[in-house]
Amino acid sequence: MSVRAMTNLITYRGGVGQLSFVLHRLTGLGILLFLVIHVVDTSTVFFFPSLYADAIAIYRSVPFMIGEIFLVFSVIYHGVNGARIAIFDLYLLKNWEIKTQRNSVKWTLVISTLLWLPAAFIMGRNVFEKLGI
Amino acid sequence: MARIINLPKNGEMIAWKWMRYSGLLLIPLAWGHVLIQDVLVGVDNIDLNYVSMRWAFVGWRMYDFLLLVLALAHGINGLRQVVLDFVSKKKNIRLVNQTLVVYWLVLVLLGIAALMGGVRKP
Repeated sequence: MSVRAMTNLITYRGGVGQLSFVLHRLTGLGILLFLVIHVVDTSTVFFFPSLYADAIAIYRSVPFMIGEIFLVFSVIYHGVNGARIAIFDLYLLKNWEIKTQRNSVKWTLVISTLLWLPAAFIMGRNVFEKLGI
Repeated sequence: MARIINLPKNGEMIAWKWMRYSGLLLIPLAWGHVLIQDVLVGVDNIDLNYVSMRWAFVGWRMYDFLLLVLALAHGINGLRQVVLDFVSKKKNIRLVNQTLVVYWLVLVLLGIAALMGGVRKP
């Protein structure tokens, strides 16, 4: 790994295109990190069923519940942006223009946020309930 | 206007297509899973009984099986793409690929074993 490749993550070309690229990677890696933990914790229902309650207890803690709200944003954003990439690459290649791309990136952020807000509201309310606020 | 070129049909091309097709399938699967478990049911209501109740339906097991297989293969291939952006030597590329295949196999087999074995009451 080179330092140059790392700094390029921040300085390369910039603009909404790079923003969506970086967000797609970060959300993807974040989801994978959770997915791996989640496969392991769920497998305890068969291998060590007495440990399952302890695993779930971690998810019920307030820091994890807040993390869960960001996880849901990641899943929504990665899905919307991934659909944008897949649809352009597979079905709309002829429509690939810089202007369309930039517009679609903005729409991706708007749609993701709108889908996330109701979920964030419900999950945020659960956090407040747990805190007794 | 995009330039259309002919690309070689190799493993990387299959991986490229895999990311797009599996990604499109994962949108309803993963969003449905997150909506049901995290938003509607909530982690406070999930325990061994809930899992065994859910897995009593073959349909939900099939759903979870599909999600497990697609999400792990999609996610670990995504990790591979990110890591390979920072690796250029052929020998190291092969090492990354082999390591991640083992990582993927261990996790997917662990998940399938639990799905097939089901909940064992302690």
